[in-house]
Amino acid sequence: MFRHTPLRYAALVLLAAAALFQALTADYFGLEILTEILILAMLVLALDLVAGFGGMVSLCHGALLGVGAYGYAILTTKAGLAPPVAMGAAVAVTGIAGWIIGAVCARSHGIYFIMATLAFGQMAYSYVFEAPIFGGDDGLGGIERLDLTLIGLDLNDSRSFVFFCLAVLGAIYAACVLILNSGLGRSFCGVRHNEQRMRALGLTVWRVKADVFGLSGMIAGLAGVLAAQHTMYISPGLLSWTVSGEALVVVILGGLGTLVGPLVGAAAFVMLKHELSALTSYWHLVVGCLLIAVVMSRANGIFGWIEARWGARLERRLADTTRKPDPEEVMSDA
Amino acid sequence: MSADLGFWTLQALNALQLSMLLFLLSIGLTVIFGLMHFVNLAHGSLYALGAYFAASLAAVGGYWAGFFLAPVAVAGVGVLLYSGLIKRMRKSGPMAQVLVTFGLIFALLDLTRIIWGDLALAIEVPALLSGRVALLGVEYPAYRLFVIALGAAIFAALAFVLGRTQIGAMIRAGVDNDAMAACLGINVERLFFIVFCVGCALAGLAGAVAAPLLSVTPDMGLQILIPTLIVIVIGGLGSLKGAIAGSLIFGFVQTFGAVLAPQLASVLIYALLAAVLVIRPVGLFPAKG
Repeated sequence: MFRHTPLRYAALVLLAAAALFQALTADYFGLEILTEILILAMLVLALDLVAGFGGMVSLCHGALLGVGAYGYAILTTKAGLAPPVAMGAAVAVTGIAGWIIGAVCARSHGIYFIMATLAFGQMAYSYVFEAPIFGGDDGLGGIERLDLTLIGLDLNDSRSFVFFCLAVLGAIYAACVLILNSGLGRSFCGVRHNEQRMRALGLTVWRVKADVFGLSGMIAGLAGVLAAQHTMYISPGLLSWTVSGEALVVVILGGLGTLVGPLVGAAAFVMLKHELSALTSYWHLVVGCLLIAVVMSRANGIFGWIEARWGARLERRLADTTRKPDPEEVMSDA
Repeated sequence: MSADLGFWTLQALNALQLSMLLFLLSIGLTVIFGLMHFVNLAHGSLYALGAYFAASLAAVGGYWAGFFLAPVAVAGVGVLLYSGLIKRMRKSGPMAQVLVTFGLIFALLDLTRIIWGDLALAIEVPALLSGRVALLGVEYPAYRLFVIALGAAIFAALAFVLGRTQIGAMIRAGVDNDAMAACLGINVERLFFIVFCVGCALAGLAGAVAAPLLSVTPDMGLQILIPTLIVIVIGGLGSLKGAIAGSLIFGFVQTFGAVLAPQLASVLIYALLAAVLVIRPVGLFPAKG
């Protein structure tokens, strides 16, 4: 179950303040990086929802992002739908795709679940790569952004687009918290802790898993729609399994199952990537070593480490005795 | 009609050659998983390393130097990995293992780029195997036949070792129940280590064999990883039978799919994998019934 600790609130306020400050003051390049962080943050929130709280470590979220992006691109450029309608439809399609994948894979666990989601992701990737309607490996261009001039926001301006993404990310975060605190979310967390007991309590386990996976797919799809609007051009690389792998890396670097952690992870990952690629073209080497170090240290990512260090002290001072799952438990459960 | 028949023979041989290459890779991965419950995503990177070692050694001592020494060199890398990382990750959950080996993929990818550069390397096929051979009414490159024969020979050797020798019995006991095997006086740790090194050497051998067929590029490990994983998941983790069956299924579906239904070819194999996972979540021939 997800709970906001004072530390989490503090981190959220800090992150939001930093993002707002950056959005108001940064130049064009800074704004582009911020948009990249915000879109990655949406994707990793979707992944953290299923991986961190339900133990469904998915390697198909990159593909779900791609489905959203391609859905939006096709519906606006080929079918000629208005952007708001196309956005809704693309998110719905991704949600359905996520629900189906979740339902089919619900029986698999551990490494088999990872492999099964990987298979679905690769299926989507190779289909998009080969099908002529999706432009093959040339990708698709000429994608419009949403028209929000009615409320005085011109999204073709990158500063306005950043504010729009920030608002969407805020809404997604709130939606994740709502989902986790709803009956569905609580059942989902229960399934991770003890699937058999939940079944004995009369819960249809696969339905719960599929429902949350579908919701997570919708979020990933929305991230994809915004990614397509951001770059205005998409290529099959968006669906590749390395995107899903990177999203998982970000969740782990940030802190699995904390919702706030992945946001920290997304910001740290994108900035690290840009700083390092300015210095050397071998930034993968650094990220790889960092990932190995984080996983071997057995801390639950950056934010998990901070929580373990300072969260407990804060907690004690506020005399709250509700127990948090420790990172070891979360890591070994997947 | 005879030309038609020749065409199918050719495709069957192509499929067989792809299957054997995948078999060399997947057998190491699957036995490591079966015995150690360790998911080594970096197996593909070891294959790429094998190809690079072979390319470098071939430039100095000719093709056969690369062929014989590259597996040894990759096994050496395997020893380093085992003592540095994998020994400590044995008791972790699958997700931690997936992530550590994912990090290794990143690191090894860039290391190969630093050492060998970004450009593709090529190896010449040895003079002995450079010609074409008439077989079943078709002309087929001798080198590709050599790959098929090598795969079959390795399969036969492994089937003999695993099925008929004492160390094979120990490995099977370890896969079946490692705690019980340890109680019966088998040094399971050492067994793990040997199997891991042999698996790495086979990955290196696959790289060395594949180098003349494909060009040697830094991302060749990433490209082969997904097919290898599909093979072991379809076949069932941990068994020789599963690895060979999975390789053959993958090779034939991929090759004949590309001929018969080009639009669907790439989706077909993933659909097959999804179907296997839904109907038999543990694969066709899992090591443990």
